[in-house]
Order: sequence, then C-alpha cells, then structure tokens
Amino acid sequence: MAGETGTFSRRTFLNWVGAAGGSSAVYQASIALGLLPASDAVADRAALPNLDGARRSVVILGAGISGLACAYELERAGFACTVIEASNRIGGRNLTIRRGDVVDEAGYQQVCDFDDHPNLYFNAGPARIPGHHRLVLHYCKVLGVPLEVFVNENRHAWVHDSVAFEGRPVRLREFVTDARGFMTELMAKAISPGDFDAEFTEADAERFFLFLRRYGDLDENDVYRKSGRAGYAEGGMVKPAVYKAPYDFREILKHEFWTRGMHWTAAEDQAAPMMQAVGGNDQLVRGFVRHIESPIIVGAPVQSIMLREGGVDVIYAKGGASQTISADFCLNSIPKHLLPGIRNNFPADYLKGMESVGRGKLMKIGIQMAERFWEKQDIYGGISWTDQPIEQIWYPSHGIHDNKGVMLGAYVFNAGTCLEFGRLTPEERLARAIAQGEKIHPAYASHVQSGVSVVWHRMNHLLGCTAVWRRDTRERWFNRLQQPEGRHYLMGDQISYHPGWQEGALGSAHFALADLGKRVQAELGGDAVHA
Amino acid sequence: MLRRLFVVLSSFLAVHGYSEPVTAPEELQTCVVCHGIELAGNQSVDAPNLSVLSAWYLKRQMQNYKQGLRAPHGSKDHVGREMAPLAADFGDDDMAVLEQYLADIPVFNAPVTIRGNASRGASLYISCSICHGADGEGNPTFNAPRLAGQSDWYLVRQLENFQRGIRGNSPEDLYGSQMRLSTSILTDRSAIEDVVAHVNTLKRGDH
Repeated sequence: MAGETGTFSRRTFLNWVGAAGGSSAVYQASIALGLLPASDAVADRAALPNLDGARRSVVILGAGISGLACAYELERAGFACTVIEASNRIGGRNLTIRRGDVVDEAGYQQVCDFDDHPNLYFNAGPARIPGHHRLVLHYCKVLGVPLEVFVNENRHAWVHDSVAFEGRPVRLREFVTDARGFMTELMAKAISPGDFDAEFTEADAERFFLFLRRYGDLDENDVYRKSGRAGYAEGGMVKPAVYKAPYDFREILKHEFWTRGMHWTAAEDQAAPMMQAVGGNDQLVRGFVRHIESPIIVGAPVQSIMLREGGVDVIYAKGGASQTISADFCLNSIPKHLLPGIRNNFPADYLKGMESVGRGKLMKIGIQMAERFWEKQDIYGGISWTDQPIEQIWYPSHGIHDNKGVMLGAYVFNAGTCLEFGRLTPEERLARAIAQGEKIHPAYASHVQSGVSVVWHRMNHLLGCTAVWRRDTRERWFNRLQQPEGRHYLMGDQISYHPGWQEGALGSAHFALADLGKRVQAELGGDAVHA
Repeated sequence: MLRRLFVVLSSFLAVHGYSEPVTAPEELQTCVVCHGIELAGNQSVDAPNLSVLSAWYLKRQMQNYKQGLRAPHGSKDHVGREMAPLAADFGDDDMAVLEQYLADIPVFNAPVTIRGNASRGASLYISCSICHGADGEGNPTFNAPRLAGQSDWYLVRQLENFQRGIRGNSPEDLYGSQMRLSTSILTDRSAIEDVVAHVNTLKRGDH
C-alpha cells in the first residue's frame, strides 16, 4: 500500500517542502506571535442612554432577531417602540418547524405533518450556536433560554461521493484517519533532516518526525499500515481487534469530502462544542417575546418608508387598510432586496447599494423518520456528507433513543441547486432528497413518514437568505448601508460581516443602537445617564 | 403602549403632502411582496411592473401559466417557474380583485436600466408598433400588451425568451407563438436592447 503512493514526483514534493523550510522567518514569526488575537469584545448590553422622562419613539421594521433585540433594549432604556412585521409569524429566519406549522412559501404552502411530539422538529433557520457568539449566548442567558449541546461533527457519520469508493459511503473516521496517515507518511518519506535550513535544529527535526508519526498514526518506520482511529473491522472489546486495511489513497483524492466537509469544523463558527436551544432554536424568539412589552404588529407589510426632518413616517397595511406611524427613528431589518418594492424616498445611491447586494439562497428539508435507524449505525447526532445535490444529512442531537426522529434530509448551500429544488413541488423535492439519501442509508425511504422543505429564496416576505456580499460590493456599499440615512437605520444580519448568523443580526442591531443612543444623548445635552 | 408614537390615518396626507399607497386587498398580498407596493415592480426579485398592464392581458398570462403554456414544468424560464405555482392558486375571484386593484392604482414608470441605441431601436420598433401601438400603449384588439413604462430589463428578458423558444413555443399559446415569430427581426442582444431603449423613450404613464 505504501509503495502505491509513489506516483507523486518526489522532487516536486521536496520543492514544496523546501519552499516552506526556507521561509524560516515565518516559522520564527509564528513562535513570536504566540499571542492571543486581539479581543473583539462585545458589550453584553447595547450602549443606550437611559431615557426616563425624555422619551423618543422608534419604529422597528421586521420582527426577526435584530428587530426583537432592538425592541428589548430600547424599551428598557425608556424608548417607545413599535415593531411592524409583514408576515403572521414572529422570528424572521429563526424558524423551528413542528406539527401543524405552515411553511409560507410563495405558491407552495406546506403544512407540517410531523407527529405532535416535543422532539419532532427541525430548525429551518439558525441551527447551531458557537461559543464565541457572545450576543446570542447573552440573550439566551438573560431571556432564560436553556441550551444543550449540538453535535456538528460525528466521526461515525458517513461521507459519500458518487465517484469514489464506487459510490459506497465510508465512515468519516476512516476517511480522516487514512487521509492523515497517507499525508504524513508521504511527508516523512520525502523529507530528510538535511532538507531543513540551519535555523531548524536537529532536535526540531526529530520533533517534527515525531509529530508526523503521531499526527498520522504511523508505525516506527514512518509507514501508515493501520490505525484504530479508523475504527476496527471487528473485535476490540472481548475479542482481539482486527484492523481495517487502509483505503486506496487515490480514492480519497477523488472524493469531494476533503474539499469542504473534512475541514468544516475547523472553522471558528463550526467548531465543537456547539449549542442549540432545548426544544428548538425559536425558543430565543419566544424568550424575546416574553420579555418585550412594546406592540409587535404582525400581518402588517410595510408599504411606504418616508424619511423626513426629525423622523421617519412608515405606512403599513393591516387588515386591508393603511396605517401610518411616525417615529423619531426607524430601525429597518426588511430584506434589502424587498425595499425597492416599497415606496420610499431613499437617496438614489442608498437604494442602489441595497440593490447591489445579492440575495442568498439556502434550502433545508426536514424528514420525520419512523425509526432512528442511524443510531443503530452508531450515529448519534452530526452530519453525513455527500457530493449529491442534498449535500448533507443531519441527525438530530436531541431526542436520543426516542422511537422517531426528524432528520435533515438536505441542507443545500449551492445557489444553483437551491434554484433547481425551488422550481420543484414540495413533493418532488422530498422524493429527490429521499432518493439521494438512499445512496447513504439503504432502506432510507422505508423509514420516511413526512417531510417539509424550506426554500428560503421562495419564503414569503423574505425571498432570500444570507445576503451575498462580494468583495467589490463590500468596499463600495457596506459603510454606506451600515451608516444611518437621516434617522433611518438599515440592519439585520444583512448589514454585518457575518450574514446568515444570528450573531451578525445582533451585532448589527447593537451597532445601530449604539449610534442611535449617542445621537439621542447628544440631543438631550449629553447628561443622560448610561443604563 | 404606543406612548409618544401616534397613529394617524386620514390626516396624514394633509400633514406630509405625499399620498398613501392604495393598500392591496388580502387576495393580492402575496403579489405585492415581489411585484412591489402598487405592483410597480422590483428588479431585485425579478418582478416586473404590473401597474402598466391591463387586466385582460394579466388574465391570459395567468391562464397560460396554469395551463403550462408559459413556464411549464421543466421550462428554462426559471423566473417564470417562480411565478407558475402562484398562478396555479390564483382563481377567478382573485382575478376580479386584481382587475379592480389595477383600476385603483396609478400607472408607474419603471426606472430605466437598459442602455441601448434608441434611434436604431426606433426603426426596429416600426414593425412592433403595428400591434403594440406607436406609443407602446398596447392594443387589446391585437392582444398586444402595453409596453410603455414596463420594466426594461423584463422586456429584454422576455424578448430573449421568445427568441430562444423559451416562451411562446407552444402552438396553443397563440399570441405567444405569434410574438415568437415577430422577434426574428431582432438578430442579437444589442438589437433587443436598442428596441427596448426606444420603448423607454415612449410617452410613459401617469407618473
């Protein structure tokens, strides 16, 4: 097996290593730079002056996470708020789907037919909370939203590629272990201590080879023969372990998994441990609603936003009639691609900026399974990966050992695939997801009881997901849109460097609140007391 | 808990000097999400300006969507496929509501986004004008919709769709297939942009 890896040109490889070895400045610098990154600390509370006795009014457009957080903070500081929400539901893209819920997709309304059980739900929007998302965690804490661990990576889960291993799924642990074994063996064989320059001492080299051996689980001759990390073929408990033979590295190279999934949980936002709200991530929405006294008017699409000297006038439809609300400030989280369809007097460049940011597309399909068959395959939570259009299959982290479970039968990030799925009926989407799931779990279809698809770019009043900022649109428009226009603030995850995350929405909300607070304080003569 | 916020209804117009939009009835709430308040269109979500169109034309297009003559299943008219399921749910009663709403709202001119050679477009437009009218006002006798004030990017896309056989490819779509033949005079993308640039110069709507 080891000899088969010799198809690489050893010289080419040595050249790469030589290039790296020569850059000892980088090596030295990385030692010197063993510093913690500068802390990007976020204040738990929004910086707002306490306005008791000198109230200002704020109209908040959109009852998603940013709008709710603004209402919560502002009313605590003595502001008078009204939240206007176009849809009949509070929460925006924070959406947990359970029995009887209506999925309000334009043209394809679905009603969720999962069993009525507290564990049978899926988070169609935000699904995982990393430990450094301080604002999300802060609000979960103060609003009394209990959290539990969310499994984002599971080494027992499957990785599948239609062209590698003859289309057979392999365990994630086998894939990663073998990939590391082959890589490190190759490096150990290709490098000799003399290849390093003088600043890399012999002792360093010795440690380096030890590092390779440990990292890849190589034997004492620096050959990757077998590893228990990949799991055993059999035995290992009461019978002796029988190791698996390593896979052919060429199959691993063919595989799509290493292009993305293999490094997924290395990302700061995706690394273990992650969390989810007990009972569904919309518990955060419910937490806000429990603590907000200001009116939240639902079923009230905004028709007109007019900026004027000293305030903003908003007209919205409610029950077939127009209502007007005038406020000192407007915090607006309406998706930027819907604002050109709303009557407004925004300056042309402000509107152009909104039109320049792309509409994100993402899709999830939740499927109720009659049996938690994956647990019989040692899979408790986590994600399986495939090169098929469904991209991922998620196993619920909650409800372990229940009879039934709702898994994610598809999580599609590819915009083209989302468009394609979006053009199908919900039944066709489900059928496709099931057919693709079969490639990973034989008899998958036999467990399916019902499914719901959430195609975010077709969801009524949203028509998009994560805002798509290109480098040029960032440079040209981000500051323009982040800064207020008169007394109007655009906000939400769309106006952040972290679109598609609740932390981005909350960061954007706090940014707007801080600015608004400063202005009000200045208007009041700067003597208001900080909350 | 409105406190200092105040809700004003009728006095608003007098105070601030701009008119309230005509609120879409319940039946049309989904329409205005994409097509915009008073159906003036929104390019960001690929939704054309419906305020310029007549009820008879919209009725026929909804019918075409329903019958699979426009953007049928598997069609390359991807934006049309977004519309098709909404048309399927749109009944005769809804159509009557839409007809009334079209009568109640102003006619808006969509913003100009296409740069073409309008004078070249003018000579191309001569044959278009036979059905659509010299001012692009449309003509129900020839089943030709109004073009003046329509979202120009939408006109470009539809001309391309006709030309490529993405729209008007069903013989049952009488007027669509007629239109498909008519686009043969537009030999390339710049001819399409030129003719649309000319349409942008035509006497436009109320606004």
